Amino acid sequence: MSGYVAYVGRRLAQFVLVVFIGINLAYVITHATPIDPVEQSISAVTYYGNTAPDAIEQMRTSLRELYGLGGSPVEQYLAFWKRILRADFGPSLSAFPTPVSTLIGRALTWTAGLLAVSTIVAWGLGSLLGGLAGYYQNSRGLKLMGVIAMGLHPIPYYILALVLLIVFGFLWPVLPISGGSAMNLPQTLTFDFVTSVLQHAILPALSLILIGVGSWFLGMRALVSNVVTEDYVVYAELAGVRPWRVLSMYVMRNALPPQLTGLAISLGGIFNGAVITEKVFGYPGVGSLLVDAVYAGDYGLVLGVTTVSILGVSVGVLVIDLLYPLLDPRVKVH
Amino acid sequence: MMMRCFRAFLLVAWAFAALPFLLANSGSAQGTSKNIPRKELLILENPEGTVKNAGWFNIWAINAGSQSNGLQQVALDTLWYIDPERGLDGVWDNSLAADKPQYNADFTEMTVKLRKGIFWSDGVEFTADDVVSTVTTQIKHPGMRFSAVLASNVASVEAPDAYTVVFKLKKPNSRFHANFTVRWGAVWILPKHVFDKVEDPAKFDFNKPVSLGAYVLNSYDPDGKWYIWQLRDDWQRTTLGRYGKPGPKYLAYIDPGPPDKRVIAQLNHELDVIHDIAPEGMFALAKQSKVTRAWFKGFPYGHPDPTLPAVIFNTQNELFKNPDVRWALALLIDIKAVSMAAYRGAATISAIGVPPTGAHPATYHQPMEEWLKGFEIDTGKRKIKPYDPTIGRQIAEMLRPSMGEQIPSDPAEIARAFGMGWWKVDPQAAQELLEKAGFTKRGGAWTTPDGKPFTVRVMVEGDLRPVMTRAGTMIVQLWKQAGIDARIDVAQGMLPTRRAAGDFDTFIGWSVETWGGHPDLSYFLDSWHSQFVAEPGKSQPLRNWQRWSNPALDKIIESIRMVGFDDPKSIELGKDYIKLAVKEMPTIPLMAYNVFTAMDQTYWTGFPTSENPYTNPVPNWGNSRYMLVKLKPAG
Repeated sequence: MSGYVAYVGRRLAQFVLVVFIGINLAYVITHATPIDPVEQSISAVTYYGNTAPDAIEQMRTSLRELYGLGGSPVEQYLAFWKRILRADFGPSLSAFPTPVSTLIGRALTWTAGLLAVSTIVAWGLGSLLGGLAGYYQNSRGLKLMGVIAMGLHPIPYYILALVLLIVFGFLWPVLPISGGSAMNLPQTLTFDFVTSVLQHAILPALSLILIGVGSWFLGMRALVSNVVTEDYVVYAELAGVRPWRVLSMYVMRNALPPQLTGLAISLGGIFNGAVITEKVFGYPGVGSLLVDAVYAGDYGLVLGVTTVSILGVSVGVLVIDLLYPLLDPRVKVH
Repeated sequence: MMMRCFRAFLLVAWAFAALPFLLANSGSAQGTSKNIPRKELLILENPEGTVKNAGWFNIWAINAGSQSNGLQQVALDTLWYIDPERGLDGVWDNSLAADKPQYNADFTEMTVKLRKGIFWSDGVEFTADDVVSTVTTQIKHPGMRFSAVLASNVASVEAPDAYTVVFKLKKPNSRFHANFTVRWGAVWILPKHVFDKVEDPAKFDFNKPVSLGAYVLNSYDPDGKWYIWQLRDDWQRTTLGRYGKPGPKYLAYIDPGPPDKRVIAQLNHELDVIHDIAPEGMFALAKQSKVTRAWFKGFPYGHPDPTLPAVIFNTQNELFKNPDVRWALALLIDIKAVSMAAYRGAATISAIGVPPTGAHPATYHQPMEEWLKGFEIDTGKRKIKPYDPTIGRQIAEMLRPSMGEQIPSDPAEIARAFGMGWWKVDPQAAQELLEKAGFTKRGGAWTTPDGKPFTVRVMVEGDLRPVMTRAGTMIVQLWKQAGIDARIDVAQGMLPTRRAAGDFDTFIGWSVETWGGHPDLSYFLDSWHSQFVAEPGKSQPLRNWQRWSNPALDKIIESIRMVGFDDPKSIELGKDYIKLAVKEMPTIPLMAYNVFTAMDQTYWTGFPTSENPYTNPVPNWGNSRYMLVKLKPAG
């Protein structure tokens, strides 16, 4: 047990280091971009207006002050870390003065709902079907499933999304093609709103699930195909253990850990958002928020989303790493 | 047992797959509001997309919320409007002002008489105090949107009575009223009785907004996808009221998503007005929908904005200081190829430095035609007349075999749709001009006077503005063919920053923006004065991105500053600017910026069109409010 405690300590230290390096990299990259949020704001404000050129200089000075972009690079860097340690990402520069945390919080609700459900459904279906296909290798239905998975897997995501959009949004217009819910519905837990949210989630979720299932299916089938040749499986079958028990207790259980790792990383990655899904389906979420923030040179928002994402993926991997030694007897910690 | 389980699983999977269809409303993809009848609702695109801080309506604060979500179109108001088209009652509209601005003799004082009987949506009467507060509040708070422009112009502002405002200006300015005149936007009047109670007006969300327009906010999406506005019961007490009752009771400004989604939404009759789509999207709509209408009934469909996309040189770059070089590059451009590449031919070309839209064809393009025909360039070896008055007609003829009857045959219509003339492609003259400027052609490739390869980067915005990107790509190809080391330079979102910093050789964009409906050119021209040209390496204020300074231009601008807005002398001075710009070629004018606004007539009719051009159809413009009183339910 003391070995495990030491392992946890080492792993936590590694986690802190990874997060620290990741956030610093994000800080450096965002500040190295040539996009200047002040110029972007001025451009947006004056693009069609008739602001006199000498007034622009005054506006530029005022905005730098207002956005807190004054001070030396070191002062700005230290101020950034002070805020991060308080979980305060400051105001968004492109949606000033709305706090970055408010924007992320709102977008994350949609992204997490869509991606968490889609990821888990795709993982569950893909793993189950892949496991069955790996074990019952002569089943025609499962062989067909394998062909479908092989066919779906290499399709670029946006192609599938567009096909779904055209089929169910235009040729047979039965599903909403844009947004998270219908117009003029208050975001309260009413039947109309919940139904509308589900309707709007169907196409983006379906596109994610179809591609995801194929990927998880192929992974699990390959894992199970290896496990079924292991001695303990052969022995169990020869010993007359019922096939369902062999499949669930001997095969699936031993094939699942790599899939679980993948699931944890995928769930951690939810905090990145699904950029293409959100763009194609006009779904409100973190991915769209991040892209817009990059174009607007909104350092605060880009850093906020990136930090949450770094934490999400790192925590996902950390949890798996800490659970592995407890769940899998083959993993030893020293 | 296993197969039974598997079959059960398949059944569950089938049920899961069927769930979408059980949930779906047949026939309704977008799912418009259940509690608003579709026949009372006009749905328009907000081109700002998804609005991040959706609950902000304080347009006087920078970056606070959306402008084009209906806020500037139907909820706010200001003193005057100038329509880029003909207007409901002429181009000029006295909105909150009862009359045109009155200046004193030396243009240091502007008096405004206000309209009586106009009320805010909360029942408070609009008075001169609101105008004074709009100015003083923003001057007091330097972080506000119009603070800088007002602070640099206004010495004092007073309200001698409830319906009169007197501005005393810091320096003579015959165009000060432009700040309170809507072209696209303007200094909107804020409600004094609301902002007086606010501690920091720059950090006030103004939610729910008090409206001075004919509509009030009904509801909005906290995620910024849609805004719904409702007609005021007392719409007669607004400035739009004198034109009659607006047709739609409700307006929805929505983010319909990328271009393909906009097309699908309109084909499904769930988006009445598309702000803009690529030419191909417009062609698809024209082909597939019998009820979609664009500005032109047929080709080229789009509404030509009063802006002028051009090849904009960085004239502070040593290579482009010499007008002969700029002219040589112009004579290597085949505008027909550029028109085809950018707009598939659906472009309105312009050889001169004003867009061929609104009042300008009649004021500038047609009267200057003879001068252009006679205009000569000295190539160093001979004199040439570079203007070809038939290019517009050539484009029309080129398109006729594929577009058939959609291409007009009347010369006036062709000129209106495709433009008049442009510059001939003349590689020989271009070669002579480059040689005159000290350039040398070695082995088919041009070198600069100091012996380096003649490299020209053409900066474009990439997929953020595909039409301009295609134009830039074609121009690069044409220059390459002539032996110039031309390269495309995709700036994407960095274009505003790089443009301001002068970090480009050339770029495709516009530095010419006009009122459109009014011939005065000061809207952009004043900012071209050399007093505003930044030092190389420093940030250039808009709009003189070409950083062109010229004593003759300064003289023209200074003369315009001292004549009234409607004085015919300003048109003559405008022509002087055009002649100078033709000789100097600081930017190579290409064409009007065509906006492919598509209007679905399933639920509403009476949209503005080229046959009935009473206002700009592009729905994010403040002027688009005028279409609301002309719209009628369809059937």
